[in-house]
Amino acid sequence: MEAFWFLGGKAGLPTIDLVAQLSAVEFHGWPLLGEAAGLAVHFSIGVCWAIFYAFFFWGRFHLRPVLQGLLFAIAPAALAILVVYPELALMRSHSPMLVLDLHRFFAPVTPDTVVSLLLSHALFGVIVGLMYRKPVGYAVGKMPKPPPQRRPNPSRTRRNPNSTAFMFATGIECSYPTIEHGRWRRDEMDCTRHYELWQEDFELAREIGITHIRYGPPLHLIFQGPGRYNWDYVDPQMAELEEFGPEPIIDLCHFGVPSWLGNLQNGDIGRALEEYAGAFAERYPWVRFYTPVNEMYVCARMSALDGLWNEQLRDEGAYARAAWNLANASIRMSDAILKRRGDAVFINSESGEFYQPCCPDDHVQEIADQANARRFLPLDLIFAHPLSKRMHDLLCSQGISKEDIARLGQRKVPKRSILGVDYYEWNERLIDRQGRARALGELFGWYVIASQYWDRYKRPMMHTETNKMDAHGAPRWLWRQWHNLQLLAKSGVPLVGFTWYSLTDQIDWSIALSEPIGMVYPVGLVDLNREARIVGLAYRHLIDLYRDLPEYRECKALKEIIQ
Amino acid sequence: MISSFLDAHGYDPGPSQRPLLAGAISGILATVPAVAVLFAFGSLQVEAEILGLSRIATLGVGACVMALAGAAYARFFGRAANSVRGGWLFGMSFGFGLWAAGAVLVLPLLNGGRAPAGTAASGVAASLIVWGLAAGILVPFVHRPLHESIAKASKNTNLGPDAAAANRQPIRHQRQSTTR
Repeated sequence: MEAFWFLGGKAGLPTIDLVAQLSAVEFHGWPLLGEAAGLAVHFSIGVCWAIFYAFFFWGRFHLRPVLQGLLFAIAPAALAILVVYPELALMRSHSPMLVLDLHRFFAPVTPDTVVSLLLSHALFGVIVGLMYRKPVGYAVGKMPKPPPQRRPNPSRTRRNPNSTAFMFATGIECSYPTIEHGRWRRDEMDCTRHYELWQEDFELAREIGITHIRYGPPLHLIFQGPGRYNWDYVDPQMAELEEFGPEPIIDLCHFGVPSWLGNLQNGDIGRALEEYAGAFAERYPWVRFYTPVNEMYVCARMSALDGLWNEQLRDEGAYARAAWNLANASIRMSDAILKRRGDAVFINSESGEFYQPCCPDDHVQEIADQANARRFLPLDLIFAHPLSKRMHDLLCSQGISKEDIARLGQRKVPKRSILGVDYYEWNERLIDRQGRARALGELFGWYVIASQYWDRYKRPMMHTETNKMDAHGAPRWLWRQWHNLQLLAKSGVPLVGFTWYSLTDQIDWSIALSEPIGMVYPVGLVDLNREARIVGLAYRHLIDLYRDLPEYRECKALKEIIQ
Repeated sequence: MISSFLDAHGYDPGPSQRPLLAGAISGILATVPAVAVLFAFGSLQVEAEILGLSRIATLGVGACVMALAGAAYARFFGRAANSVRGGWLFGMSFGFGLWAAGAVLVLPLLNGGRAPAGTAASGVAASLIVWGLAAGILVPFVHRPLHESIAKASKNTNLGPDAAAANRQPIRHQRQSTTR
C-alpha cells in the first residue's frame, strides 16, 4: 500500500497516503518521528486486519486465495472511507471539539479519495490473499520443533500397569499424510499444538477420566532412515504416559509414511515398518497395546482410489496394492512386536463402513457390491479370512501371487488381537442412481455395522473412534454410540472399550486434510485452547456413571485376552 | 453470516466458561491504562464536556460502558478471546472497532453532533485501542479461575444418559401435547 501511494504520488495521481495523514495528526514539529509513528500505527492496523482475515474469513468461501483476499478487503476499505479518513481530518483540527453534521464529517471524502482508498485496499487484500495460502502443515523434509521436556508432575496417582478395566478411551489426532503429490506434509499433532502442549493434553485426559489413549508418535519425524531414529519427538510423552497414564494404545502408522519411503505403492514399506515397530517395542517395553497400522482401508482408499493423500492415485489396482502393502506391513509389525513382547495386544482399528444400493439397478448394485467387498480387504488379509473372489482376482491382477495370498490366508493370527470398529455419521453410504456414494447418516447405527464385522471375524471388539462435528449435538451422539455398544455387548459380543476421538478439536476434518486450509472442527472433548467442550463433560459424566460397576472395573473380555 | 466465520474457530463458549463475567471484569481492569491515555491527550475533559458530566461521573459511566464492552468482546469472540497467544490482537481489533462504531459514530449522534477533535480525538482513538489491547491480554487470564472444574460441571444431569433422546419429554407427554 505504501508503495502504491508513493508511486501514485510520484506519477502525479491523486492518491491518498494514509500514513502521511496519520503522521500529520501528531508530532507536527518532528516529521521523521511522525512518519515513523504513522507507519507503525498503519502497520499494526494492517496486522490486525490480516489476523482477522486468517482467523475468521479465510477458507469460508470456495474461491482462489487471491479472490478471498480481495473480497475481504471490502471491510477495511469501507472503514477507511467511512470512518478513518474523515476522522483523521478531524484529528488535524486545532479545536478540541467540533459540532458536526454528516455533510461536514464527510467533506474530506472526494471521489478521488474513494478510488484511491479502494485501490490501495484492494492491493492489500490481494497481497494478504496471496501470502496466506497454506496455514497448516509444512514442506516435506522440514522438521517441526520437538516437544518440550517433561515438567515434574505433582500427581500421586500412578497408572496401574496391569489394569484389566474397560477402556474409556480417547485419542490424540495424529494423521500425517502428504498432499500435493508428496510435497506438503499434513501433521495434525503440529497444527493442534500437541507437540507444544502434550503434557497439558494428558492432564486433561486424566481429568476427564480417560483410562486409555490412542496415541500415534509421528512416524515421519522419528523414523529417519534404516536404523536411524529421532526419539526426541516421543520420549518425554512416553515417560509421562508410563508413569501417570492414560495407558497408551500405540498407533504406529497413521495415514502416512516417512518421505524417504515414498508412498503406499512402495512394496518395501512392510520391511521398513517392521524394523520401526521392533525398535519401538524395544525402546518402550512396557507398552501393552498396539495398533500397527490405523484404518488400512481408509488409508488405501484415500491414497490410491480417491486421490487425496500420499500417492494420490485414482485406480482400483493401486488401491489393491496399497491395501496389500499396508496389510503386510501390519502383519510384519505385529510379528516384530511379539518378538520383543510376547503378550502384546493388537487393536486393529478400521473404519466400519457400509454401502447401500439405492435401487434395483444392476450398475448401482455392482458399485455397492464392489465397495462392500473393498472395505473388508485389509482386515481379511490380516485376520486370515478368505477373500471375496473379486478382491482375490483384483490382487492377482496386480501381480500378487496366489501363493502369497494363500500364505496370508493360512497364517496364525496373534491370539491377542482385537478388532476396532470406528464409526461416524458418514460411514453408512447410499450409492445413488449416478453411482456416487452419499452419506446416509446414522441409518442402521454402529450396532448393525459392527455386527457385520463381528460375524465376519469373530474377534473381541472395541469402538475405536467416533465424534460429531456439531458440538451441541455431540453429547447426544456420544450417548447413542454408548447405547449401541451396550446392546452389542448384551448380544454376547466381547467388547473391551469405547473411544471418543479425539481429545482436542481437529483441523480440516471435514475435508479429510486434503487441503491445508486450517479450519477448526469442534469434534474434541476440549477445544484448541484446551477448554472443555460440552461433550467432554458428558463423557466424564458417562465414565463416572459406569467405571466403578463390577463389569467395567474388571472387563471380562479384556481379562481373557490379556491372560 | 458473521457467526459462521467465527465458527471457524469455535464461536460457542464452553459449558464450563463464564465469558460475560470474565469480559466485564477485564473490561473494567483495562480502563486503567485507557484512562491514563485519555488524561495524557486531554481527551477526558473534552468527553466530559460533550456528555455534560463531571470528570468523575464520566469515568464512572466509562467504566460501566467498558464493562459491557468487555462482556460483549468475550462473548462475541468466544474461544478466540480465550487465546493467550492471539487475545491481545483480537482485543486491539475490537478496541479499534469500538472506536469506529462508538466514539466516531454513536457519541456525536447522541450529543447533537458534538465530537472530540484535534489531539483530544487522537486520544480517544488511542485510549480505545489501548483498552482493547489490555482487555485482550486480560481475558484469558481472568477467565481461567472463573471456570467451573470439569468434575463439577459434568454433574449436570442434562449431560447424562437422557441426552441420547432427541426429545427429552417422556413419550406420554409428547402424545398429549400432539393431541392438544
